[in-house]
Amino acid sequence: MTRHVRTLCILAVLGVIACDDPAPIPGVPESLDAQLRRQFTQWNIVPIGEAPHQDPAMVALGQALMFDKILSGNRDVSCATCHDPTQHLTDGLALAVGTGGSGSGPARTLGVGRVFVPRNAPTLLNSAIGLPYIFWDGRLTRFGPPLPDVVLPTNDLLQAQAMLPVLNRVEMRGEKGDLDVFGNPNELAQFDDTQPNAIWQGVMHRLVAVPGYVTLFNAAFPSIPPTSLTFQDMATAIAAFQTDALMKTGSPFDRYLARDNNALSVAAKRGGVLFFGEARCSQCHNGPFLGGRDFANSGVPQLGPGVGQGAPLDKGRGELLNFQFYQFAFRAPPLRNVELTAPYFHNGSFATLESVVKHYNDVSTSLRTFDPSTLPASVQGSYHGDVGTINAVLATLDGRLQSPLHLTDAQIADLVAFLKSLTDPAARDLSGIVPASVPSGLPVR
Amino acid sequence: MAPSGLRAVCLVVPLVCFVGPARAQLIPIKTIPIAQGDQFQIFPANNLGMGSASIALADSLADPFANPAMGTRLTASRFFGSPTLYSVSRNAGGGRSLPFAVLTRRALWYGGLALALQQVDPSRPPQPDGLFVRTGAVQVFPNSPDSVIPGPDLRAHGNEYAFAMVGRDLPGSKISIGASAMWTGLHALDGVDLLYAGSQRVAQDGHALDLRLGALKAWPGERGDRFLEALVLHNDFAATHTVTYADQYWDPGLEEFRQRARIEHNVDQTHTWGLHFKYTVPFATSGWRIGWIGTLNRSSHPKIPNYELANVPAIPRDPGYTTAFDLGIGLSKLRGLASFGADVVFEPIRSYTWAAAESPMSTVSGDTLAVGAKTIENHFRFANALLRLGVGRDIELPGEKKVFGLQLGLMLRSVHYNLRQQDNVQDLQRRLTTGWMEWTPTWGLSLRFPEFELRYAGRTTNGAGRPQSTFQVGWAVDDVALAGGTLLAAPNGPLNLTHVKTTTHQISVSLPLR
Repeated sequence: MTRHVRTLCILAVLGVIACDDPAPIPGVPESLDAQLRRQFTQWNIVPIGEAPHQDPAMVALGQALMFDKILSGNRDVSCATCHDPTQHLTDGLALAVGTGGSGSGPARTLGVGRVFVPRNAPTLLNSAIGLPYIFWDGRLTRFGPPLPDVVLPTNDLLQAQAMLPVLNRVEMRGEKGDLDVFGNPNELAQFDDTQPNAIWQGVMHRLVAVPGYVTLFNAAFPSIPPTSLTFQDMATAIAAFQTDALMKTGSPFDRYLARDNNALSVAAKRGGVLFFGEARCSQCHNGPFLGGRDFANSGVPQLGPGVGQGAPLDKGRGELLNFQFYQFAFRAPPLRNVELTAPYFHNGSFATLESVVKHYNDVSTSLRTFDPSTLPASVQGSYHGDVGTINAVLATLDGRLQSPLHLTDAQIADLVAFLKSLTDPAARDLSGIVPASVPSGLPVR
Repeated sequence: MAPSGLRAVCLVVPLVCFVGPARAQLIPIKTIPIAQGDQFQIFPANNLGMGSASIALADSLADPFANPAMGTRLTASRFFGSPTLYSVSRNAGGGRSLPFAVLTRRALWYGGLALALQQVDPSRPPQPDGLFVRTGAVQVFPNSPDSVIPGPDLRAHGNEYAFAMVGRDLPGSKISIGASAMWTGLHALDGVDLLYAGSQRVAQDGHALDLRLGALKAWPGERGDRFLEALVLHNDFAATHTVTYADQYWDPGLEEFRQRARIEHNVDQTHTWGLHFKYTVPFATSGWRIGWIGTLNRSSHPKIPNYELANVPAIPRDPGYTTAFDLGIGLSKLRGLASFGADVVFEPIRSYTWAAAESPMSTVSGDTLAVGAKTIENHFRFANALLRLGVGRDIELPGEKKVFGLQLGLMLRSVHYNLRQQDNVQDLQRRLTTGWMEWTPTWGLSLRFPEFELRYAGRTTNGAGRPQSTFQVGWAVDDVALAGGTLLAAPNGPLNLTHVKTTTHQISVSLPLR
């Protein structure tokens, strides 16, 4: 019996010692869902909540303003000209065509003596989602310095954004000496560029002269006389419309985020795992918007008239004061509904999602071998494909993009499937937001 | 000591919990080395300090609860109470039980009643030795204006147990038959609150019913009696877990991250039928006995909770069934005041679980799985082994009618299994072969007087772990959780476990009623 006791004591001691270091259990490959959910945590991917309820009267006023060409100096373009519901709130063009142009959507052409807006018109879908940076160069932000040339009366980015296009001569205001569509002088174009308040007041002067707007004003701002309203109030109404009508976050991806594992196809899940992993897309396109919070020089071909001192090149964020280290860097856009908003990049130089993913697969080679014949004929002539420009762009290529991804065609297809899963079906047909008419009586289309 | 960082597999699937008066005939299943509290070690046992060796070594206290026909060995009516405490190291949980029971005999009839109240502390992730202390999910973001999110439930919750047993000797046949029933009202299963990663709180409500019909046949012999035990059991377990999550989301109006409550109701159901035989005979020289057991459990799992592990949402439904066997042999020796017992049990188990599509699902090959079709199938094949051995020695105190007893023992459970998982959506097959070992040293002291008996037994289970919380940085959410009960689950991702020990102390007092 003593022997038994001794044996037991030894076994017990060995047991205690051994159990402080339990044998590891080999893992097994994660399922796609497990990988994706883990990646969501890693990249801070969370669902988007409901947009706040808006005052219907304010929404009605905002809708009218967005589609009314009265806001433009020549009364020939509205916000919806470049943010066309039939084009999912872009214009389908590589570079936007502002006042003086003709036609709509991808068929829109420059007017005589006009130039392209230097950058692609971004979609207004989900513009009310709470983006921290507005515009391709992110110059409008709550984080950085104010705009250098305009003092905005609001800290609300969505409202602020709505106040700027009417100041821009190429986009909406027109050039001095322009005549509007009725042959009358464009009074908004007569102001100097340094007089934004005068321009906004000029627009308000037009609006209060329209009885239909006075009615809308009284409904939206019952305690303020129409003559006391400012263009900031109009921007508030436009922002209300954007918040009410343009939020589209019901994609399969959003349903998947809301815990429906069946919402994504297997290919989309594989693409998602690539997106948040090997393909490194989430290095920039992360967070609740899948982008919108970061800037990168993605080695995009230079195209268009250029911006600022860098013209005819467009150095993007590097053009802004004190941001010179961001040479050729542009905002990584939020990606919901990206399938619907071609062409892509800040200058629309890539027409399809497949071409975009292939570009990212080997940015350097893609830029050096870019074929300008893939561009719309109207902008082919403004392509800057000289070696010096290409080298300049590649010299500051984002470090995250300098090594090729070596994605296979199948992987590229999966990534595209994932990107297409970001599309809210409700965003495919936006014809319902187009009013039959606007108070000014100007044509909506 | 730093967390051991035991890496295991993360599971989405079934927790099969058995609640019975004695778990000897209910075969536990675990697919990961999760430390489980000794929540169901309620009733007293003579052999607890001897590694719970029980095949060839009789246990007059515990046997009637395992097989009601064993109540025939009662020689007198007794009352006992056995307060039991268990704790999980690293401040990861614990609980305490207070049972009272009366076992009585009158002529050919015998019976018993027992009641127990239990308090189970909320399970917590193992604390990494003082670096920081967490008692629940951290609320990182403000709540949604229209959502009330309750904080972690730090209260202990109680369970109630009621047991009744009746039996009768059949005169002239050396046969005894008995039946027992045990009902449990459940509000706290140890570790369940860790099964739902990132949850704010888990409210449990359920019950278990264990029904047993047993028989004992004895054949007198020169060297001692031979015994054949037979038992049929049915065990029903049903619980609902009401889980409150705090889901993070982006509020576009307020332009900030917020969190809102999400409440899920998960049903956990398992039905088990069991058949058990034990045959013991005297063996070789005087005092030795040898015994064999054969146990069959057939369990169906009509509904298993949608656990949330490693931030992996649950497979919608995951029913299945399990067939488990215990085939064991035991030896014992009683010589004077010394006793020895050893059991070796081989435990083959086969289990099949699956996930069913809640809505039509397209597969990688372009087919569509209809509602209810199996999306994932898990085939488990276990080859577990169990070793229990212990020694005991009574010492008669000189000049007095007192007996002092010492016990020492060891339980060793080896788990080894193969998993073949078929993913019918991705058309993939994954295989896993794994296993681990759990060691449980046991010890016991007893003091027997003519008026009463006082026993103390303890044990510490090593070799398992519990999910560890990860320190939260920025927007990260918890690395998850898992624990409790008998566990049958299918791998789905990584899960880190931290080694913990479960220690149980039981003090039992037994006194004759007349």
